[in-house]
Amino acid sequence: MTSRPLVPDSPTPPPGYDPAREHMLDFGVAEDLAKVVDSDRKNFILTTVDEVFNWARLSSIWPVTFGLACCAIEMMAASATRYDIDRFGAGAFRPTPRQADLMIVSGTVTAKMAVRLRRIYDQMPEPKWVVAMGSCAIGGGPYFKYGYHVVKGVDFLVPVDVYIPGCPPRPEVLLDGLMRLQDKIRGRRGKFRPPKWVTEYARKIPYRD
Amino acid sequence: MEPAAIHQLLVEKFGDAVVGWHPDGPEPCAEVAPARVADVALFLRDDPRLAFALLMCLSGIDWDGYDAAGKGKSVAILGYRADGTPEAGERVATGDLGVAYHLYSYAHRHKFTLRARVPRAQPSLPTVCRVWPTAAWHEREAWDLLGIVFTGHPDPRRILLEDGWIGHPLRKDYAMPGAWEGVPLQGQPYAVSSAKPVLPPPSAPAPRPAPPDQGARGPAEGGSA
Repeated sequence: MTSRPLVPDSPTPPPGYDPAREHMLDFGVAEDLAKVVDSDRKNFILTTVDEVFNWARLSSIWPVTFGLACCAIEMMAASATRYDIDRFGAGAFRPTPRQADLMIVSGTVTAKMAVRLRRIYDQMPEPKWVVAMGSCAIGGGPYFKYGYHVVKGVDFLVPVDVYIPGCPPRPEVLLDGLMRLQDKIRGRRGKFRPPKWVTEYARKIPYRD
Repeated sequence: MEPAAIHQLLVEKFGDAVVGWHPDGPEPCAEVAPARVADVALFLRDDPRLAFALLMCLSGIDWDGYDAAGKGKSVAILGYRADGTPEAGERVATGDLGVAYHLYSYAHRHKFTLRARVPRAQPSLPTVCRVWPTAAWHEREAWDLLGIVFTGHPDPRRILLEDGWIGHPLRKDYAMPGAWEGVPLQGQPYAVSSAKPVLPPPSAPAPRPAPPDQGARGPAEGGSA
């Protein structure tokens, strides 16, 4: 009886493997770090503050627990064991916006929820990001024509960084959108500040207690 | 008991209050005068031959475009245009509003449907939430979305929309709002139009219409639309 190896060595890459996308699966610095760590010399790394901060930020994006509709079910699936969004550092769903970096708008934004959504967004500390998940959050979705209470896209309320289409999107697509967001954060330079039209526009939306 | 026999019992008991009988269709239903709905409901629940202990569903109906005999044509409702603005309609809705009560009896395992037709000008009928407590929320929903007033309801607030909402959205002549208290409800998705959102001009917040029987937490009579 022969024992099967734990990791079968396959000469061909697994299906779906794209070398062009490999940099999205790790941070591209593992080999460089290995040289540094394995060396017996005293080494130092030269980099920029932006890059270190961005690396830290994209490696631990904490989303706020904010599910609106059926997309939230897919978001929960993405955070559960099978898809495990924690592999990408975004698994710590915070119950308070004060500790969160990311708002995944997963579902239909109704007029009733819009002011709450805006308030939660304003309570999140900078830097912060927004992912519009699903057709409804992108543009009203199936409620565009006859939805008397649906905001036709969450970008009417808050600036959106990544749009994830689908109705609802599968967890893989949410993970892909998260990686697109990580790409975006990796390239950021300078201060984090929402566009001016957003801050001016948001001031016109009243809060209601 | 068959629905036709139940209808016969109602006719014997209430006479002229049972104004119609619709035996066709999957759910035969009896139509009663709206003022006697609560009495008929109590009889249906308490008579041992009927024992309708469960109100399965209470539905509001908008018969816009249909006359009392059920003749007519369905009308197109208003929505948003492709450019994201609300459609405007000049048509004034005609036809009655109505309420359907779907009943079930655990004891006898039979079903029955009761229906009441109220005029659009004054859509009010007595509540049945003292016969079936589950009707309280259903009636609030019928008030919220169709504007049907249930007199004597202990808590006649809106249930789904905010208290300050203008109009009743499931009426067929309801025009879609462009904005609600500063929240834009019109516009196009970013994928269609990359133009920045244009907030509708601010308007003074309309006075909130008081719900009927506001503040009356007991058996109150005589609500107003």
